[in-house]
Amino acid sequence: MNQHVIQAYQQAPWRSQVQAIVLFLVALVVVALVSGLYLSISAQTSAEGIAIQNLETQRDDLERQIANLKTQAGQLSSASQMEERAKALGYQETDPSNITYMVIAGYPGRQAAQLAPINPSQSQPQSLIKSDYTESLWEWLFQGALQLNNSMGGGLE
Amino acid sequence: MKNIPFTRFNIIGLGLSFLIVLIMLQMIRIETSAQGRALNDKAEKNYEYVKQRIYPERGNIYDRWGHLLAGNEEVYEVGVDLSDVQNPDTIAAVSASILGLDYNDVLHKASAKFVPGVSEYTILTDFVDPAKIDQIKQIEANFQNGPAAPQSRGDTTPSLSGLTWTPHLKRSYPENTVASNILGFVSWRSRDQAQGYFGVEEKFNDLLSGTPKDVVVPVDPNKIQDIPTVPPGASLVLTIDTEIQSMVETTLDRYVKSTGSVSGTVIVENPRNGEILAMATTPRLDPNQYWDYAKLFPGSTSYNRAVGTTYEPGSVFKVLTMGAALDAGVVKPDTPFLDTGSIEVGGITIYDWNRGSWGPQTMLTCMQNSLNVCLSWVAEQMGPKRFYAYLQAFGIGHKTNIDLGDEVIWPLSLPGDSDWYPANLGTNSFGQGVAVTPIQMVQAISAEANDGKMMAPHVLKSVIQNGRQYDTAPQVVGTPLTPQGAHTITNLLATSVEEEGSTAVVDGYRCAGKTGTAEIPTPYGYTISQTNASFVGWGPADDPQFLVYIWLEKPKTSIWGSIVAAPVFHDIVQQLVVLMNIPPDSIRQKLSSP
Repeated sequence: MNQHVIQAYQQAPWRSQVQAIVLFLVALVVVALVSGLYLSISAQTSAEGIAIQNLETQRDDLERQIANLKTQAGQLSSASQMEERAKALGYQETDPSNITYMVIAGYPGRQAAQLAPINPSQSQPQSLIKSDYTESLWEWLFQGALQLNNSMGGGLE
Repeated sequence: MKNIPFTRFNIIGLGLSFLIVLIMLQMIRIETSAQGRALNDKAEKNYEYVKQRIYPERGNIYDRWGHLLAGNEEVYEVGVDLSDVQNPDTIAAVSASILGLDYNDVLHKASAKFVPGVSEYTILTDFVDPAKIDQIKQIEANFQNGPAAPQSRGDTTPSLSGLTWTPHLKRSYPENTVASNILGFVSWRSRDQAQGYFGVEEKFNDLLSGTPKDVVVPVDPNKIQDIPTVPPGASLVLTIDTEIQSMVETTLDRYVKSTGSVSGTVIVENPRNGEILAMATTPRLDPNQYWDYAKLFPGSTSYNRAVGTTYEPGSVFKVLTMGAALDAGVVKPDTPFLDTGSIEVGGITIYDWNRGSWGPQTMLTCMQNSLNVCLSWVAEQMGPKRFYAYLQAFGIGHKTNIDLGDEVIWPLSLPGDSDWYPANLGTNSFGQGVAVTPIQMVQAISAEANDGKMMAPHVLKSVIQNGRQYDTAPQVVGTPLTPQGAHTITNLLATSVEEEGSTAVVDGYRCAGKTGTAEIPTPYGYTISQTNASFVGWGPADDPQFLVYIWLEKPKTSIWGSIVAAPVFHDIVQQLVVLMNIPPDSIRQKLSSP
């Protein structure tokens, strides 16, 4: 009788094996999911990282080009070049006796160069790369959880 | 019997687990050992991060209207990446034909064996023009579009693989020699040690160059980090007007040549605020070719004589003596003086410039005829104490501290000094026995043109840093004269120039002015055949807007300032009033009247 009762409550051996296999498969799926997520984020980070490196190189190139173009503009508008071009266009040096002077109301005269704002509102340099591209997976998960918590009304006091 | 397989599996499992634990322990041991850490560091250093020193772009220099005087242009460093070389012959041939390099030298460098960490990259040349790089790129494109690319080193198929060109900036001066004595230059060919020499480039080298930053840049894109932005060096806006500077240089060069002078110097200043509008000297260097410096400036020749060379100015100094005497009330413009042709001061006899006696004079005619005897008498009337107090108030013997490199001075001998003699009072009164730089004279005389207030001469108008423009404020460095004294000497000198019929007179513009002819001291006494000819003038006399100082060193056509220097003033001012939009006095007074 006792033996009969025991038999009634014992798992069938195949069930135990299936349970183990299912547990293993669940664990495998979880690992695969996490790995997949990690790989996906890593791949995205790498792609963005390469894009950022390219952009930084482009920025350096553009800064050099800007400097170069400024100098070229300076060469083209240099005193000697302008004089040559003016003469080529038929201009002549002014004879002081032929100058007509007049008062133009409100005209303050030629103003000295102002090449940058005197009081710009933004002066502190800021990082160009968002933190999304530099934080680790754990930081990303933690920040996400924190944001979720905050959005649900939680938060630390 | 039934438990045997289980036991065997257990033993095998335990054994494998133990093995795994051992492997993990070994991994931890290797990872944490000193050798492991060193290897890790080496790997990180060589393969994960690249150390870079980022040099900020050197700040630009502009004139007062924003015209570029000093900037930066793109050039290339050309080198060979030995790990990538496939056909050294092609590299050598192209380098020789396009870049003008020695074929054998390039072939030798490009054929070197690649040894990691030892022989990886070699520089062929630097500062290559972008146009030449474009030619190389074109050739490379032709090779790539050709029949077949080489597959390995030694393959004779033409290839530029391994030839690299890296862009960077070098200093450039678009105006070439214009204002070069003010700008100075940067030794850009020594890239890491490049620094400013002379002028603004030297004085503001730290501001212009910025601060280089060492950064560690990850090669691994997974370790992307923000490369710190290195702000460019500060840019400077000068008070110089390029058009005026260019005009003054052209005029000066013409007169230095026509008078056979050793050198020439002209300063144009706004006496109201001390802004230098132009400062021209000869010779001038093209700072784009700064390596010619030693050839152009042999020995102790000053790069900018306006601030770097002292000389005995002669009679232009009388402007200060007479200004001081009028201000002190010792004399008036119509104070009479009988010129007998000589005067004894401190035991020496002083004569007029022509050794003649000029008879009855006034202070006006004393200045008009530039009489040494009269001015010595004036100085005596003032007395040494008051005379030298005025000279010190004018800044004689002190640096002006103009914002240019290499300013020099000659100390002023004062009563009580071991090198001062009573005779100095007489000689100093007409600008002999006292040495000054042109910029010292300009600063001192600016007081007479600016209601008695002496302005600090300066060339820096604004600094642009971190996106902000900071303007400099004019500085009053002293008030040696009263406004009345300044107006009196200005009117006296304007009348003097008019009545004298000087060649300095500019039609329509009343200007105060004074010539100067100074003998040059030598170890054997003063020379008479060689002089320093000067002229100083400012105008319009009723509202001075410019002050022009001229110095011609050892002119050959004539020794007299009135003959060689005064016409320079005339020619410069005639063009200056047009460039500065200053109408003739009659029109200006008409326009300003209500």
